[in-house]
Amino acid sequence: DSGGFQVMSLAKLRKISDDGVEFRSHIDGRKYFLSPKKSIEIQHKLDSNITMIFDECTPYPVNYEYAKKSMHLSLKWAKESKDNFIDRDGYGIFGIIQGSIFEDLRKESATKLKEIEFDGYAIGGLAVGEGHDEMLKVLDFTIPHTANHKPRYLMGVGKPIDIVASVKKGIDMFDCVLPTRSGRNGQAFITGGTLNIKNNKYISDNSPLDKNCNCYTCKNYSKAYLNHLIRSKEILGSVLMTWHNISYYQNLMRKFRKLINNGTLYEYKNEELI
Amino acid sequence: MTSPASGTACSSAISRALSFKLVAECSTSKARACLITLPKCSVESPVFMPVGTKGTMKGLTSKQLEDIGFQIILGNTYHLGTNPGPELMEKANGLHDFMNWKRSILTDSGGYQMVSLLDLAEITEEGVKFASPYSDDMLLLTPERSIEIQNSIGADIIMQLDDVVASTTEGPRVEEAMHRTIRWLDRCITAHKNMHCQNLFCIVQGGLDMDLRRKCVEEIVKRDTPGIAIGGLSGGEDKQVFWKVVDLCTSLLPKNKPRYLMGVGYAVDLVVCSALGVDMYDCVYPTRTARFGTALVPWGQLRLKQSQYSMDFDPIDKNCPCLTCKTYTRAYLNSIIKQETVACHLLSIHNLTYQKQLMESIRKNIIQNTFPQFVKDFMKEMFPDGNYPQWAVDALASVNIQL
Repeated sequence: DSGGFQVMSLAKLRKISDDGVEFRSHIDGRKYFLSPKKSIEIQHKLDSNITMIFDECTPYPVNYEYAKKSMHLSLKWAKESKDNFIDRDGYGIFGIIQGSIFEDLRKESATKLKEIEFDGYAIGGLAVGEGHDEMLKVLDFTIPHTANHKPRYLMGVGKPIDIVASVKKGIDMFDCVLPTRSGRNGQAFITGGTLNIKNNKYISDNSPLDKNCNCYTCKNYSKAYLNHLIRSKEILGSVLMTWHNISYYQNLMRKFRKLINNGTLYEYKNEELI
Repeated sequence: MTSPASGTACSSAISRALSFKLVAECSTSKARACLITLPKCSVESPVFMPVGTKGTMKGLTSKQLEDIGFQIILGNTYHLGTNPGPELMEKANGLHDFMNWKRSILTDSGGYQMVSLLDLAEITEEGVKFASPYSDDMLLLTPERSIEIQNSIGADIIMQLDDVVASTTEGPRVEEAMHRTIRWLDRCITAHKNMHCQNLFCIVQGGLDMDLRRKCVEEIVKRDTPGIAIGGLSGGEDKQVFWKVVDLCTSLLPKNKPRYLMGVGYAVDLVVCSALGVDMYDCVYPTRTARFGTALVPWGQLRLKQSQYSMDFDPIDKNCPCLTCKTYTRAYLNSIIKQETVACHLLSIHNLTYQKQLMESIRKNIIQNTFPQFVKDFMKEMFPDGNYPQWAVDALASVNIQL
């Protein structure tokens, strides 16, 4: 990603100007300035296969005026990002559609990004507290303005139920800290929902986390042992929970691809698919 | 099988759960290579047992431990006995199943942690009285209770509860502890329910007093346990006395049983004590030091937090076959060391591999009868300027290896 989101969410004392964002690092307090040019340069040095434009992740909730101003700034920065991107085979740059929850702003953002022309189009500024239903509404009026023959990437999403609903609307790519972060805290994603392994009822439960799962954790370890590890704050607990959660997510996406190929995805309710 | 009467030497204390084979002896020193066959897995010695305190080895999966090649690991009864506790351990069918480790396990008695971790531990003839870390209760760990917990954990080798005194202790307390250790051994033997599948090892005490050690060995071997540990050392005592105590014990102990030197794990100590005839070791050092960013290497240590490594794109040790050295650079480890738990995990993998490789080299050289040269080469690499620690020079000289 471009660094834009973390600058918004983590850094102290940030100042946005037309040229970029000045901020203080949350680690050592040093002053930094991040601009589209700088962000693209860093992503180039990281040898990133997909580079994201440097944008302003519009906070939520905001009024229409702020959302419009923010979206226009992101468009300016989108152009600068593209101008600084060094094109080569096997590498691409994605634009990020902003506009908060406002239909006309989203349309304008998507349309103008297509004029600049990117290798894929991300939808940013969602999963910021607007809720599942609001998010789907925004997807409904935004997706038609993306390019049909290019990847659509919904940033920062999310829970399995959010993912399945978004897949049904035509989203191709997702990212989220959820499986790893909440895994470390003891939350396991399993068939049909979640469980928290720290719960007392798992103390002597010798069954695997999810009997439908074939991952290393579920093949070799019991809930009782995972309960013990997480409560003892042992690193192996985080390792095994993360391993399972990531496997769960990968299996989910694999399942969607299979059902889409079969043409049967829409025969299932969202709750049945997770 | 009926329990033997306490206090008497008896052949029914011989367990059928361990068979011992002397594979090779060094023709110069007292080093030996053995094969210890246990219920779950045979163990080739000299062997270093990594410590998986709470039933886990600092982030390593059991597959990673197996891949490094460990045949036996150690679990701490004090920690496991409180969390998850013996009842839960039984419900889980024992520690092997609980932590998915199919090879051998040794548990200690819980005594050492009592004395080292707890402020209010009081030792009486009955046992160790201590304040529970989880409630206001006073609890009592007796020999019987320690064996009971170890029976539920189900390890292949279990340790007697001994009366541990700090190695720097002086005065009558040392002798008292030595005699009590023998009395507690007899109570452990009586309480032990699983002689057919769990081997109870005794522990020689006696501090740094040669006479006490001698007396202890004499009495303790009458109990004819399947293996014998040397306890009460590695606690900050003068190394010159340390090696002499080890040497005395290995000279007196029966040849046909494994000898386990508790709490020893620094590379130089492992090499020297193997020359003195020790077969088994355990220590938290490699995993603990990994947490602080230190990597163990044949020429010493790398403190990877240091800024000199920030642009060093070599692996920790280009001759090391571990996952960490095959995949990551010193620079990468330096960059994550203060921030990411995976650094600890990767360094633990490396350090444990280092220990395993060291023990394999020791064993291989004993079998090939090239052990003395191996020791010289090892010491030269560790101390290139020839500044060998005097105690090591003296200890090795006593078994005919001249540095």
